[in-house]
Amino acid sequence: MKYVDAFRALAQHRTDQVVITSAGNSGQAWWAATRDTKSTFYLDASMSLATMFASGLALAQPSLRIWAFMGDGAFCMNPGMLMVERQMNLPNLTHILVSNRVYGATSNAELPNLMQNDYPAIARAMGLERVFEFCDLDTLNRDFPAIANANQPGHTFMVLEVEPFSDAEQKLEQPPIEAPELKFLFGREIERRTGCDIFGYRL
Amino acid sequence: MADKVPDTAKRIADQLAACQVRLVASLPDNWLMDLIKTIDHDERFRHVPVNREESAIGLCSGAYLGAMGSAALMGASGFMTVIYAITKINYTYKIPLFLLLTLRGGVGDHHKHHVSNSLYLRPVFEAINLPYQIIDQPADIPLISRCYHHSRTFSRPMAVVFTRDLLRGTH
Repeated sequence: MKYVDAFRALAQHRTDQVVITSAGNSGQAWWAATRDTKSTFYLDASMSLATMFASGLALAQPSLRIWAFMGDGAFCMNPGMLMVERQMNLPNLTHILVSNRVYGATSNAELPNLMQNDYPAIARAMGLERVFEFCDLDTLNRDFPAIANANQPGHTFMVLEVEPFSDAEQKLEQPPIEAPELKFLFGREIERRTGCDIFGYRL
Repeated sequence: MADKVPDTAKRIADQLAACQVRLVASLPDNWLMDLIKTIDHDERFRHVPVNREESAIGLCSGAYLGAMGSAALMGASGFMTVIYAITKINYTYKIPLFLLLTLRGGVGDHHKHHVSNSLYLRPVFEAINLPYQIIDQPADIPLISRCYHHSRTFSRPMAVVFTRDLLRGTH
């Protein structure tokens, strides 16, 4: 399954979800698929923290539904994140692990133990129950909407097995938004959706 | 030799609650165990024990964008592992972060393996321009809320650093 094709498919099935992207290629692919400047936080190069960041947001705002992308390069840096996610068990969080078996942001350098890493098994071993895996576009398009829209307790972990970016895809545009601008664009959208007050902090 | 003041943990928790801190993410340090237990049993907080210190940085940063007050509680050694996360997320995106740390390697620390923190903790604060406030006496506990407000006002991380004398007494 082509990386960007998978993201375009997810984008087509997206309704109101807020999205957090990870380091590497997921920000590029999501930007290519959506050009979203309000409801996506492009968390560039956080070295494995995208789903923890998303968990904090999901905890703070239970009415939001959140998709958090994470490459398997980032995941392998901190797989224990799943212990925390399972412990928090936030029903409004979907952790989407994008498995291309390489460090996509660094010239597709190979991951350690790349062929043996069984991410769904790792997730199940940590106690996660809503674990799904998609290896082709037809199955993704067929089954993803029911999973995404299910009203089930507990957080969702989903693995997308995709091809690494080609040399041409590596040149896809990065989201052209400076970090502080992104904070306000995204935060204002969260304020609009929830009525919360992020930026009005006063002593 | 003075014993620790028995209500120190409760007073710290009260300071956090007064600042509307709701989420506390923690990793243990022996000096912090009373505080961690106090927070864990306090219904004013959602306490999340995490797997590594970086996860606390991610959690608290995300909570900020959901308008939830938060604090990351960890030992000095744990803090030394999160420099990239703080500079990448909190400095780059200007997301405030409130850290509660231990002054490991300071005077009174019984553990010589904290020599690295003794030598480098404060220089690291200075190197990354991270404001910090050492709290050594019970009378200084109210500084916690002032430091929290400073972090929020300037959209920057700030650390409050507890000494052993405060948390465990001088024995």
